[in-house]
Amino acid sequence: MALDVSMPILIVDDYATMIRIIRNLLKQIGFNNVDDAADGTQALERIGKKKYSLIISDWNMEPMTGYELLKQVRSSDDTARTPFIMVTAESKTENVIAAKKAGVNNYIVKPFNAQTLKGKIDAVFGE
Amino acid sequence: MGVRKIKHNEAQEETSIDALISLSDKLKENKAKNMSLTDVIGVAELLTSSLQPLLRQIDSTIHKELRGILLRIEGLRHEIAKVRADDISEHKIPEMGKELSAIVEATEGATDTIMTCAEAVLEIKTDNIKEYKMAVSDQMMHIFEACSFQDLTGQRVTKIVQTVEIIEERINLLCEMLDMGDEAPPAEELNANQKRNKELILNGPANDGEGVNQSAIDKLF
Repeated sequence: MALDVSMPILIVDDYATMIRIIRNLLKQIGFNNVDDAADGTQALERIGKKKYSLIISDWNMEPMTGYELLKQVRSSDDTARTPFIMVTAESKTENVIAAKKAGVNNYIVKPFNAQTLKGKIDAVFGE
Repeated sequence: MGVRKIKHNEAQEETSIDALISLSDKLKENKAKNMSLTDVIGVAELLTSSLQPLLRQIDSTIHKELRGILLRIEGLRHEIAKVRADDISEHKIPEMGKELSAIVEATEGATDTIMTCAEAVLEIKTDNIKEYKMAVSDQMMHIFEACSFQDLTGQRVTKIVQTVEIIEERINLLCEMLDMGDEAPPAEELNANQKRNKELILNGPANDGEGVNQSAIDKLF
């Protein structure tokens, strides 16, 4: 089954440039229904108003980090199964393990390329 | 202290002790009864005079110690002045802050320009190959221009490195004069930011050779 390129995606990152990069990469892959948020708190507001098919989040943000966002997302019945990809510069083993334990679907280390992003999205959706 | 003075002090000590013994015997005989005020004052005077040599000795030792400490403090004050802490806090660190802000600004500006050009290239229509080529070349020139930020940021980084070296030199000087070289540093107390980083596992970007790479992460998933 081909990926639904119209699915709503939420990018969460405190750097506008990084949001722009991911947005452009997603656009190249074919995804156009993309929203963004500057941190976990703002992301939760967006998630409360709209159902997203995929969340792509950075880890290191203030006031709410991507790790805290992931735990919040997983603790709510509405979003417990929403695919969540962490895209971050945090590449210590303890980070990857903590994210996996918290229920992340995939983990991308910055810097990354379009192929990696597409590969992880495909993997998350079982393509 | 001269030999004559020492002999004089010793003789004085002996006299005091003899007088004390004699008084003690007298008191024993009287069994402390019928002691007059004159006797009590006499005892006090004798006790005080018998303690004089000891007090003189202590006084001289303390004086020597205090003099030594004073000289050490004066020396340290002089050496600490060489560290020029005011210069570090008032000039060096603010200058580094300015340089770092300028680097962030320059990289942000350059990234924005490069991304805008790349986005523009992606939007160029390919109907007319000659126009397409000209438009792409135009955008590429803007990208080349934007890349000049690297030269400026490189120079700013060099300035920061030099300042850090000066600060390091001065701190080393301070450690040397305080003989802190071999001393184990006290346990570091975490500030609010460090506590947050620890709780939320915020390690920041890893350096080369640290952390795990993408293929190792992929194996975990």
